Amino acid sequence: MTPPSGPDPDLTRKERREQARSERKAMEAAAAQSAQRKRLIQLGGVIGVVVVIIIVIVVASSGGSSGGGLATGSKKNSTVATVTSLIHGIPQSGNVLGYPNAPVTLQYFGDLECPICREFTLGALPKVIQKYVRTGKVKIEYNSLETATDEQETFRTQQVAAYAAGKQNLAWYFIELFYHEQGQEKSGYVTENYLQGLAQQVPGLNLPNWSAARNDPAYAEQVTHDAQIANAEGFTGTPSFLIGKSGQHMEKLENPNLEEPSSFEATINKLLS
Amino acid sequence: MSDRALRITMIVLAVIGLGVASYLTYVHYSGIPPLCSTTHNTCLKVQTSIYSELAGVPVALIGLIGYLTILTSLLVPQREETRFASMAFVLVGFGFSAYLTSREALSLHEYCEWCLSSAAIMTVLACLSVWRFLRGDAPPSGDAAAAAAEPDAGAPLVAGS
Repeated sequence: MTPPSGPDPDLTRKERREQARSERKAMEAAAAQSAQRKRLIQLGGVIGVVVVIIIVIVVASSGGSSGGGLATGSKKNSTVATVTSLIHGIPQSGNVLGYPNAPVTLQYFGDLECPICREFTLGALPKVIQKYVRTGKVKIEYNSLETATDEQETFRTQQVAAYAAGKQNLAWYFIELFYHEQGQEKSGYVTENYLQGLAQQVPGLNLPNWSAARNDPAYAEQVTHDAQIANAEGFTGTPSFLIGKSGQHMEKLENPNLEEPSSFEATINKLLS
Repeated sequence: MSDRALRITMIVLAVIGLGVASYLTYVHYSGIPPLCSTTHNTCLKVQTSIYSELAGVPVALIGLIGYLTILTSLLVPQREETRFASMAFVLVGFGFSAYLTSREALSLHEYCEWCLSSAAIMTVLACLSVWRFLRGDAPPSGDAAAAAAEPDAGAPLVAGS
């Protein structure tokens, strides 16, 4: 038997429907493919824009910072508020923070440009201050020791600036703010503008009196005296510490944990007991 | 995953990110130390670092504005253009977040948990938004589309029977 030669109207209609469907599907697939291609191009465009934005931010931030850490605007307010909440209300005398009759004295030898000192100042120190200094058990004496600062003259200038604030019993504000706003090591960020900017942040500091005090040779001598004590103790790195009962022999505090107060607490509690 | 489920997931993530950015903005302006599980408060170090501001604007505030923008783009009636906008905003946020995380790792060597959680949220949002955009116009809903396709698929059978 041969198949019927004439067109089967039913089959033809079905075929036409199939053909129309496949054509429609092909068109839909082409449209979907085109749309997908368009979306991929858009995605690529967005990624390109994002990359450009990030490059601009990186270039702007690296060019603008040039190693300087002096805070401005709201960050400055935030830093000053943090420092104030830490030490406000605690007596200061020169380079000493704490009540004069505190039974234990901790001597902190630091270089204001030393990043490890910053680690301690922002790490273990606040807890020691809150727990022992604010409660009158410990007083902390800040002494200088040049380690991270490149130029001896810069070291002396910045340290004298801190001690000069001590003439108004505000040295610890200056020291804390310096560490909080410390710049990139060896970037030469400590300029006269930097020191003036820090001084302006110290709450209640009389700037003309502070400027006058910076010329007092007593503070330069104090820096020399600090170096002599450090040498006598054999200190070569910062931060270094001496601790003991106030007015008595001071012992070295060897390798304390700078980020956690536990090593300081153990020694202080022993001296207090 | 339906487009609706994707969108809801993204809205939830954007709301969580908004909460994190709001808290960090509050901490920045109030001057209080941020809550941090690390004993030496690495969050405080990061939040007071030179990278916590961009051109004098706190990055926490930039993040807050970013999350608000993303959330808005997800809440308006959805079209191809809004999906594209959501993806663009999220990718900008993701790039910025990646830059800040790289600063934590390479410059500060300290990590802030709040910043890392925001970075994680941005990463998930970026994946979801790209996926959602590339999928294109979703059918009205999965079931409805299947139902709509059903009579067409069955037509020849009906016609041939």
